[in-house]
Amino acid sequence: MPAVAIEFDDVGLTFAPASAAPTIALEAVTCRFEPGKVTALIGPSGCGKSTLLQIARGFLEPTRGRLRFRLAESGAETTRPAMSTVWQAFNLFPWLTVIDNVAFGLDLAGVPHTERNARAGNAIAAVDLSGFEYRYPRQLSGGMRQRVGLARALVMEPEVLLLDEPFGALDAQTRLVLQEQLAQLVETGGTTAILVTHSIEEAILLADTILVMTARPGRVAAQIEVDLPRPRSVATTKDPQFSALFDRIYGLLREEVMRAMISGEETNA
Amino acid sequence: MSLTQATKDGPQQPASERYSPLDDPRVLGWGSIALVLLVWEFTARIFGVSALYLPRPSQIVVALVALFGSGGLAIDLGVTLWRIFAGFAIALACGTILGLWIATSFRARAVADMFIAALYPLPKITLIPLLIIWLGTGGPFMLTISFLGAIFPIVINTVLGVSQCDPGLVLAARDLGAKPQQIMRRVLLPSAIPSIFAGMRLGLGVSIILVVAAEMVVGKTGLGARLYLAGQILETEQVFAVLIVLAILGIIVTKLQDAVDAALGNWRVD
Repeated sequence: MPAVAIEFDDVGLTFAPASAAPTIALEAVTCRFEPGKVTALIGPSGCGKSTLLQIARGFLEPTRGRLRFRLAESGAETTRPAMSTVWQAFNLFPWLTVIDNVAFGLDLAGVPHTERNARAGNAIAAVDLSGFEYRYPRQLSGGMRQRVGLARALVMEPEVLLLDEPFGALDAQTRLVLQEQLAQLVETGGTTAILVTHSIEEAILLADTILVMTARPGRVAAQIEVDLPRPRSVATTKDPQFSALFDRIYGLLREEVMRAMISGEETNA
Repeated sequence: MSLTQATKDGPQQPASERYSPLDDPRVLGWGSIALVLLVWEFTARIFGVSALYLPRPSQIVVALVALFGSGGLAIDLGVTLWRIFAGFAIALACGTILGLWIATSFRARAVADMFIAALYPLPKITLIPLLIIWLGTGGPFMLTISFLGAIFPIVINTVLGVSQCDPGLVLAARDLGAKPQQIMRRVLLPSAIPSIFAGMRLGLGVSIILVVAAEMVVGKTGLGARLYLAGQILETEQVFAVLIVLAILGIIVTKLQDAVDAALGNWRVD
């Protein structure tokens, strides 16, 4: 499939309910997500990172600006590429087994039974969950649930993977292991991915480009290229280059987080 | 039978603790029923209570066997069950679809709210005279009365269940390519199933009450009719026999629902 870049051209979103004052969720964002690259969005709570993801996915319509999809080679505009999301809250269907959760999208598309089982089986194997096909989500740990969430997105063979704070609900150790696994998955696949995260470490470990966003209303404050060698792992965090990047991003973020706290806009999102 | 069985596979307790059959709810439940029957049998015998007022359990069992053998009680039971479950099944199908519609459509909800507020608290038994005028006393009347008993709890609980569906699941389904119809069938409906079952539980109870009551008023067949006729001719053993059939029906229905509830564990997250 041809590589597609996603361009945000002055995109903003204002919620204007009839009965309340309008809320600016996203001010005016201009940025570009390159095909085959992982771009991380990092910023204070409530800055509109997830909103941006929902706009890219097509679930929210921007109230200003334009969203464009361009073929990487010719630069011609094209339609929205296939996308799948991995959610912070996992959002697994509790009444379905692991394999039925993973195959949910395939079933909707009417994929024949043998192909469906083969593809779902492969996706489950890719996240190291073979043997758990017939368990229910409630029988799995948080880390395992999110691996199901990842398999469910990957089985759709999306051109763009949207990761909405995928490890936000997990404990620190599980998070570390999954970050490393995802880093490997991303490196081998040449996947286009947009990663929304609160964690500077996670952003550096996984991303090729990091967009630092300002406090609400959100804008892109800085674009930082991560040229740490791959494969990256927990060991990468000892690299002096990692520390330098970390400090730089922290410096940018600290200011924004303070601003968010002072303006009382800090939310739990 | 249940007594011995219950004792055998009682609760799993640490071996160190002394096992007492009185810790098993099944032993307590069945045991207390057996005890009441025994006390009843012997006090009635000792004090020589007339069977016209209070027949002994043994006499009731004899009447029960006789009624099932040659008195056509099995047919009455079948007729009553058919009336209850046919009306209930229609209510289940209509109620679920209606509930799904009301929960997902703003307009349907606004309209339905008024009708439900007006009709739900109305004791359905008060509709019997009107329904007889409209439908007579035959099959359609019985189906309607059973339907009316079950439909409201089912609709209300379906609406509740669908509205409580985690919006994250709907988003996830949309993300995987679900169309609105598929979201209804594959996300909203399954997520509402525990709630729908709660509605079925309530609804079936009301259906049973209404059908038996309607049979007592107009029926020529069915358990309610049998009960009423037996009372009229002072056949007290038969009255008790029918009551026992109704009680056993209640136990079976309740226990089946408990089993379904337990099987629905997978629906509940965490």
